Amino acid sequence: MPDASEGASDGAAPLTLSGPERSVLLALRANDGPAIAEEELGTHLGLPLDQLRGTLQRLRAKHLATAEEEHEASLELTPRGEEAVRRGLPERRFLAALETHGGVLTPDDAGTIGLDEEERSAAVGILRRRGFLEPGVPFRLRSGGAPTDSLLPEEIVLKQVAGEEEDIDEAISAALERRGLVRTERRSTRRWSVSEEGRRLPLAASDAEALGALTPTLLTSGAWKERPFRPYDVRAAVPFLTGARPNRYAAWLEEFEEILVGLGFEQAEGPLLETEFWNNDVLFMPQDHPARSIHDALSVERVEGHPPPADLLARVAAAHEGRPLPGESSPIGPGWGGAYDPAVAARPVLRSQTTPVSARFLARRPTPPFRMFSLDRNFRREEVDARHGIEFTQCEGIVGEEGITIRHLVGMFGALAEAIGIRELKIRPSYFPFTEPSIEGYVRHPRLGWIEIFPGGIFRPEVCRPLGVEVPVAAWGIGIGRLALVALGLNDLRELFDDDLGRLRGGGT
Amino acid sequence: MPQSELRRDRVLEMLPQPISSAALEEILSISKAELVGQDGDQITVSVTPDRLDLLSEGGLGLYLQGATEAAKGTLRVRELEEPAGALSIDVDPSVAALRPAIAGVVVVAPPGRGLDAGHLEEAVRFQELLHATVGRGRRAASLGIYPIERLVPPFRYALEAFDDVRFVPLDGSEEVTAERFFSEHPLAQQYGSFGRLDRRCLTLRDSRGLILSLPPILNGRTGGEARIGDRRLLLESTGLSERTVREIVGLLLVTFASRGWTVAPVEIRAGGATLSDGRSVYSSRSVDLPSETLRSLAGRSYPASEVEHRLARSRLSARPHSGGWAVEAPPWRPDLLTGVDVAEDVILSSALEPRDGLLPPSASRGRRRPETVFRRRVATTLLGLGLAAPYTSVLVSESAVTRLRGAPPIRLRNPPSQEFAFLRDRLLLSHLEVLAHNTRNGYPQSIGEVGPVVVADTAAESGGRTRYRAGALIARESAGFADAAALVEYVLRTVDIVSVRESAELPGTIPGRAARVRVAGDLVAELGEVHPQVLSEIGVPVPVAWAELDLTALYPLLGGRDSD
Repeated sequence: MPDASEGASDGAAPLTLSGPERSVLLALRANDGPAIAEEELGTHLGLPLDQLRGTLQRLRAKHLATAEEEHEASLELTPRGEEAVRRGLPERRFLAALETHGGVLTPDDAGTIGLDEEERSAAVGILRRRGFLEPGVPFRLRSGGAPTDSLLPEEIVLKQVAGEEEDIDEAISAALERRGLVRTERRSTRRWSVSEEGRRLPLAASDAEALGALTPTLLTSGAWKERPFRPYDVRAAVPFLTGARPNRYAAWLEEFEEILVGLGFEQAEGPLLETEFWNNDVLFMPQDHPARSIHDALSVERVEGHPPPADLLARVAAAHEGRPLPGESSPIGPGWGGAYDPAVAARPVLRSQTTPVSARFLARRPTPPFRMFSLDRNFRREEVDARHGIEFTQCEGIVGEEGITIRHLVGMFGALAEAIGIRELKIRPSYFPFTEPSIEGYVRHPRLGWIEIFPGGIFRPEVCRPLGVEVPVAAWGIGIGRLALVALGLNDLRELFDDDLGRLRGGGT
Repeated sequence: MPQSELRRDRVLEMLPQPISSAALEEILSISKAELVGQDGDQITVSVTPDRLDLLSEGGLGLYLQGATEAAKGTLRVRELEEPAGALSIDVDPSVAALRPAIAGVVVVAPPGRGLDAGHLEEAVRFQELLHATVGRGRRAASLGIYPIERLVPPFRYALEAFDDVRFVPLDGSEEVTAERFFSEHPLAQQYGSFGRLDRRCLTLRDSRGLILSLPPILNGRTGGEARIGDRRLLLESTGLSERTVREIVGLLLVTFASRGWTVAPVEIRAGGATLSDGRSVYSSRSVDLPSETLRSLAGRSYPASEVEHRLARSRLSARPHSGGWAVEAPPWRPDLLTGVDVAEDVILSSALEPRDGLLPPSASRGRRRPETVFRRRVATTLLGLGLAAPYTSVLVSESAVTRLRGAPPIRLRNPPSQEFAFLRDRLLLSHLEVLAHNTRNGYPQSIGEVGPVVVADTAAESGGRTRYRAGALIARESAGFADAAALVEYVLRTVDIVSVRESAELPGTIPGRAARVRVAGDLVAELGEVHPQVLSEIGVPVPVAWAELDLTALYPLLGGRDSD
C-alpha cells in the first residue's frame, strides 16, 4: 500500500570493492610520495592501462581516490610532413628543378617536376616571398638568391619535429601546421592519490570474507560475529520515498472543530441535498427571494422531494402569510403577503447554507439550552474565482437559551477570533433574512486589512416560533473557506480543493 | 450587496451644513450603508439588501439628517387635498392571469418648483435599481413615472389584443404596432414575457386611450415621458403581488418626499368597486416595539428617552405606550415588519463594541458527532497506510461521469458549467480525476479520502441521501484486485468487522475483477481493478486498484446511531 514499498532497499548501498579496486586502492595507500601517474601505476601493478583507468574512475566515484590532471602539447609530423622529410619540401624540389633546367622553368616544364598543382603553387609563393624568384613567368631564379646548400627555416623545423627536439620556432611551426605538414598533439596525464576516506576504509583481508546484508540467517546463526561487515557507500542514491500527510484544509477544519467543541458546541450534520422547505421556507426566506432563483440556487433533475411533516408545514406557512400559528390568536408578524405555496416546499435543492442544519436541529430538539455547530459543504451558483466557489464550506453555529442576546453573539465572535489568534474585531450592522438584529464581525488581517468573517444575528421569531422554540437563538454562519485562506496563507479558494500529489505526499515530486 | 453611484452634492444639500468625506464615512460605518468609493462629485455606496432606500440621494440624505440631528423622527408624507377627488386606475380582470397587482401615487412639487434635471436623473436611476432588486429584474414588479398634467384620468390597466395597441415608444419617434414592438424592440426582447400573453399585451392608458406604458417594458413617448419642469407625476407599479408593488412605489417615493413633494392617493378600482383607496402606498405604518423585545435582544435596558432619541436619529418617530412604543414606519422602510426589526434600529444605532460581548449564561459540554469521529478514524487509518489525502468536490464533471459508463448519478438542472454538472455518488468519480491531474507526478501513487456523496433515494425527504464514503486508489506497476481487497479487509479489521466478498460488475472496473463486500448482508464496500479503457482515457500508465467503503452503512453495524 504505501508508496515506499516499491523499490525500497534494506538500507544504504553496500560499499563493495572488486579485486582490482582493492589492489589499486592498496597500491595508492602504499604510495607515500606525490601523486602517481596512471602509467607508472599500471606498470607497478602489471595492469593494462585501460583496465587501470576504469578501476581508478570507480574508486573516485566511491570517494576513495582523487586525481590531478596535467596537460601537455607536442608537435608531430603528419603523413605529408613525413613525405616532405623524405623527399624534400615542395619549395626545395622546385629549386632543384630550376637548377636542373638552367635556372628557368616554363609553366609547362613546371608541370613535369613531380609536384601537384597545390604543391607547386605553394612552392612558388614561398620562393617569391623569400625573394628567390623573379616576378612573372617563366620562373627564373634570382641571381645570388638561391640557397642551394643551406637549409630553409621550414626544413630546419621539420627536422626538429622529426627529431622530437624542443625550442621549435612557433611561427614557422604554426605555418607548417597550416600547410598540413605538422600537427599539435595534446596529452593529458592523470596522477592519482588515495582520499582520506580511502585511507580510512577498513579493508578485509579478502572481500569475499566481508558480510553484505544482515540476514535473518546471519542473525540466528551468529555468523555475523565471525566476519566483518562490508561498509556501505553512505552517499549513494536511495529510492525516492513518498508518504502521506494530513490534508492541510481538512486538518485546519478539524482544528476549528476542536475550538468549537472546546467552547461547548455540539456537532450536527444535515443532508447536502435539501428541500426548499428546510433550505429557505423554515428560515423565513420569502418564496420569491432572489437567492432562491434558478440563477443562484442549484436544483437537480429527476429527483422528487417530500413535504415536511404537515403540522410544521402549516406553522411555517402561517408565518409566511402573516396568519396566527395554528392554535394561536395573533400572528407573529405581517409575513410576506400573498399565499405560501406548499408545492415549492418539497422541491429538492442543493443546500445553499448550513442554516438548514440549525433548523433541523431546532425542530428535533426545541428545548433549550442548546449550543450547536455544523461545519459542512454548501453550494451556490456562483461565478468561480479566487473569492467565490460553487462548493464552499460554512461553519454554522447557534446558541439558544433564555437570556441570549446580541451581546452573546458579539461575545462568541470575540471568543472565536481570539481562538484563531485574531485580536482586533469590529462589529457592523448587516442583514440576513432570518435574523434580526443582524451583524457582521470584521477582523483585522495584517495583510488584507479588515475582512468580514463573522455574519450572524438573532433568529427572527418567524423562524423560531414555528419550530416550537421559545427562547432567543443567536446564530452565525462563517464562510470558513475565507478564514482558512488567511490561516493557511493561501490566496484562492480553489486551492482548498487540493489534489496535487506533489504536495499531498510531501517531499516534492 | 446592492450598490450605486450617487451625486454627493444632491445628498449633502439636504444638510444644513456640509460634512467632510471622513465624517460621511464615519457616520456610515455604523449604518447599513458603506462608502465604497469616491470619484469627484460621485460617491459609490453599497447597502444591505433591506435598506435600498439608502441608495437614493434623498434616502441617504434623510438618514444623514438624522445622524447629524439636523432633522429627527419619521418624515411624514404630506397629503395634498385633491379638490376633484382621488385619481383612479381601473383594473381589467384580464390582467389577473399575467400581472395582477398595481399601485400608484401622485407626487406634487412644492410651490414654485418642478422636476429638475438632477432630480429626474436620480429618480430614473433609482427606478432602475429598484427594478433590479425588489422588482427581480422587472418580473416581480416594475415602475413607471408619468407626467400626469399631460394625461386625463382615470387610467385603465388591461390586457389587450396586439391589434388594438399602437404607440410611440419612449425612445422612438414613430408609432409602432404591438406586433412590431414585441418582435423588434430590445427591451421587449428582454422583458416581453412579463408583459404579454400570446398575442395580447398589458397596457396602461388614460381615459382618452393614450398609452402611458406597456408594463413592465417601456413607457409611451406621449403619455409616459416625465420632463424637466413637470410638477405633478404619477408613480405607478405593476407586478405579481400587492405587497411588492406597494413596497417598490414606497421606496421610489423617498426621492420625492425627501425633497418636500406632497402626495395624492391613486385609487385602485375593479368592476366599479374600490379595491384600495391608495393611501396605504404612502402612509406610515405603526410597528409595535415592546420594551421587553428590545431588552431581550439588546441584553440591556435603555431609558425610554434614549430609545426615542435613537429612533428619532434613525428617522423614526416613536409614541410610548405602557408596554413599549408605537413606531411610525415610513413607506420606504419595508424592512420594518415587527418589533425585532425596529429593535435593530435602536440597538445598532451606535456601534456595538467587542467589549460589549458576553459569553452564554449556562455552561455546556461540546462534542463531536460520534459518526464524524468514526469517519475521522477511518481517514487516519488511510493516512497510516500511506494514502495521500486529497480534498475533492462533491460536484463532478460530465466527462468524469461518462468515463465510468455506469448509471449516471443525480444531475444538476442548472449546472453553472459542465465541470460541475453532477453530484458524485461514489468517490471514484473524483479520485480518477485526481490521478488524471497527476500523471506527471511519478508512480506509485496512492490516494485515500473520506468524503460525502449523494445518492438518489426516493425514501429520503429531498429525494437524495448524503452518505460518507472512504475511497482509495492505488496506482503502481503491481497494483491489482488483491491490493484493494486487502485494504478493505484491513480497514474492517481495525473495527473488528468480518466481511464477505462477492463478485460484482461495477462501473469502470475490469469484468471479473470487481467485488461487493457485505457485512451481515449489508453492502459496506465496493472494490476492483480499474478498467484499462478508463486508465487510457485519463493517461495513467500503470494498473489502478480501487476500493470504497460506505461508512454510513458501516457505522450502524458498529453499534453507532446517527445522532442527527
